[in-house]
Amino acid sequence: MTELNEIIHQSVRLRIMAALTALDPDNEVDFTALRDLLEVTDGNLGAHLHKLEEAGYITVNKTFVERKPRTFVSATSAGRLAFQAHVAALEEILKS
Amino acid sequence: MNISPTEAEEALAAIQKMTRRTRHTISSSGAYIFLIYTGMIWLAGFLANQFLPGSQAVYVWAVVSLLGSVLSISAGLRVSKHVKGPLTGMYGRRIGLFWVLLALFCIGVIAVAQPIDGKQITLIVILFVLVGQTAMSLVFSFSYGWWTLPIGALALVGYFLMPAYFYLWMAVLVGGSMILLGLIIRWKL
Repeated sequence: MTELNEIIHQSVRLRIMAALTALDPDNEVDFTALRDLLEVTDGNLGAHLHKLEEAGYITVNKTFVERKPRTFVSATSAGRLAFQAHVAALEEILKS
Repeated sequence: MNISPTEAEEALAAIQKMTRRTRHTISSSGAYIFLIYTGMIWLAGFLANQFLPGSQAVYVWAVVSLLGSVLSISAGLRVSKHVKGPLTGMYGRRIGLFWVLLALFCIGVIAVAQPIDGKQITLIVILFVLVGQTAMSLVFSFSYGWWTLPIGALALVGYFLMPAYFYLWMAVLVGGSMILLGLIIRWKL
């Protein structure tokens, strides 16, 4: 039986991973767009992104666009796999 | 880690909701926006063809086409501003080139076929637009590639069976259907 992933299961992180895995692989989303999508504060989102980045599930890319600092976030291959496994585990609980 | 089936169900519902919301707002599957814009342009343009003298209808087409182009470009830029990928720029250039080449081929076909009236020219242009939209849908959002078939069929029915009301048919049924389909796709996302 697939195990639930404690890092991903937290509600904000779960929604972050859902949003990032909905994008095409290798695509990155702007930090502010992600914040608006999740309806969370900058600090809250930053803390959860840090946790996911530490686990190797996402990458955070800080760059400059038109001389302004921008942060882009994307799911890693490991993150996508972990998220898929977590979803499978949730589905298994429903079936059992 | 153990959770109840209710909690699992809530988590799956949250995932589904977030996935839909992401695709709707920032992913590349915003085909419905372009469908609605095209439908609005056709509605206004063909109503002008039906009820206004030819010279005035040309102005209406020019204005709505310009407006539609601006809206489409701004929608495309809005998506690209929030999402970036290694292929985004390349896709943009190739899409632009594809439509330019399709327009040139369309002009070539019209030049060779020498249509006898405005309705024939209109239908040829529309069929080329639908070929382009089919290609875009198949490449970027396969599940929504089906809509060009009923729209194309409706256009052909209007041309062959209702020639006197062809432009009105194109405006209300075809343009209206595109707007309706766009709204349905938006609602389903």
